Amino acid sequence: MSIILISSDDRETEAIIAEKVAQEKGYERLDRRFLNDVAARNDLNLDKLKDALTSTPTVLKKLAARQWRQSLACIEAEVLNRLLADNMVCCGLGAHLYVTGISHAMKIRVQSGKEKKIADIAEQNAVSFEKAAKWAAKELENQKKWSLTAFNADETDLSRYDMVINLDQIDPVEAVRTITGASEYRKFQVMTYSMKCLNDLALAARVNVELLKSMSDVNVQARDGAVIVYVRTLRRQKRKTVETIKELAGRVNGVSYVEVHVNKSLKEND
Amino acid sequence: MPIITISRGSSTMGKVVAEQVARKLNYRLISREVLLDASSRFNVPEIKLEKAIHDAPGILERYRHNKQSYVAYIRSALVERVVDDNVVYHGLAGHLLLAGIPHLLKVRITADMEKRVAIVMKRDGIPAEEARSRIVEDDKQRRKWTHSLYDQDPWDVSLYDLTICIDKLSVDDAVEFICRAAATEGFQSTEKSRQKLADMAAACRVKAALVDDFPNVGVTCEYGNVLIYIKGRDQASPKLLKQLNQIRESMEGLNHLETHAGVAVPPDAV
Repeated sequence: MSIILISSDDRETEAIIAEKVAQEKGYERLDRRFLNDVAARNDLNLDKLKDALTSTPTVLKKLAARQWRQSLACIEAEVLNRLLADNMVCCGLGAHLYVTGISHAMKIRVQSGKEKKIADIAEQNAVSFEKAAKWAAKELENQKKWSLTAFNADETDLSRYDMVINLDQIDPVEAVRTITGASEYRKFQVMTYSMKCLNDLALAARVNVELLKSMSDVNVQARDGAVIVYVRTLRRQKRKTVETIKELAGRVNGVSYVEVHVNKSLKEND
Repeated sequence: MPIITISRGSSTMGKVVAEQVARKLNYRLISREVLLDASSRFNVPEIKLEKAIHDAPGILERYRHNKQSYVAYIRSALVERVVDDNVVYHGLAGHLLLAGIPHLLKVRITADMEKRVAIVMKRDGIPAEEARSRIVEDDKQRRKWTHSLYDQDPWDVSLYDLTICIDKLSVDDAVEFICRAAATEGFQSTEKSRQKLADMAAACRVKAALVDDFPNVGVTCEYGNVLIYIKGRDQASPKLLKQLNQIRESMEGLNHLETHAGVAVPPDAV
């Protein structure tokens, strides 16, 4: 009974490994197909949701920063809500970046193999090995930039994961066996406390979605139904902002108490 | 059978993992012996070698090239030690010094920062802040070292086949995963891979003999045929000719020595 979060530098590899692990474990697979549900439930454009998971907003891009942030918040809230069902293998939805502090969530990174990736790029685009290597490095840099901008976490940092498996020499079948074996360990089993933490994360994410509809630059934490919101605003708008947040957050199912901190960052309070 | 390198940050339990892997697989365990070998063979104090492989080069050292020499000595000593396979090496930079060997299983052990701080506090009897700053400084030095000598980031996941975080996963779990990976087909030595290792050992011996006077020399070896890549102006150097003659006379197992001047050093050169 656990959640397995799989990420990779290569979308195809990620999907294949996640599928095999889900099959072996008899778990449900949560992947990008889930974005259809997210789009339908939140009345969002599916293409923009997909775009939000790969690119960052720039001045020239059609995806505005606020819309991008909102799309990501919706994905996060829906994924967290779904993960409450447990026994899931999740990939392609950035969950490894926002599912934090949950002991029964095992984070795995599968590296597709640098050499293979460069060779694939060179073959597909009919370019030299050197050029393909530069493209691969650029792609990795973009992934890093996206994860830092979206969730303030570097997805290429190996200390984020319980295990990183490089498929350069390790066979994918062995990788799947290792992942399924590890997921059986006691520390990845669901406990009352880890489930409570996941519930708190999911509640904070739901509140975040509600607040982002009418404001930006908010941070939300939740604990047993009590929600703490950190927001930046002008001093003259402080009272109005606090009232709005209390009203919006109070409407979210599961919220029993709302506390608002204006112009304080989460970090300062930690 | 494979050669296993276990790379680790300080205080991550990597040493314990290496010891247990070696015991379980009945492999030789090496670490500091390599420095002693290099120290006695090349007549350099062990402390200087240790410093060379631990600290990043200072501004003056970048011009004196001492560090390149010391690293070449250590690399040569290490390759000689692993040439008979069935080895676990948990000293510094094994994954970089032995890069290119096909049956090399490169493992990285990481640990949660708080856990590392606790280990240092207990071991050295110092307060948490001091322990933390020691670990951060140590990590910084290793990062700088790898950058300056290999243009790589030690935290780059693609450098390792398997990265295991000792947090939710225990030392025993890590040992089990490593042993299982070592038994897979991709890491078994073949006649070809053993030949490659023997060639690498020869190339390292030649490099160690030349590096003092020609710090930017690159050496490759194939079936005992050695190619030496040097700068154009060094080609006619009497010192080089003298040293090449000495190498021919003193080193066994070399079929042919050839110098290439003014051409780019291939990436697989030592």
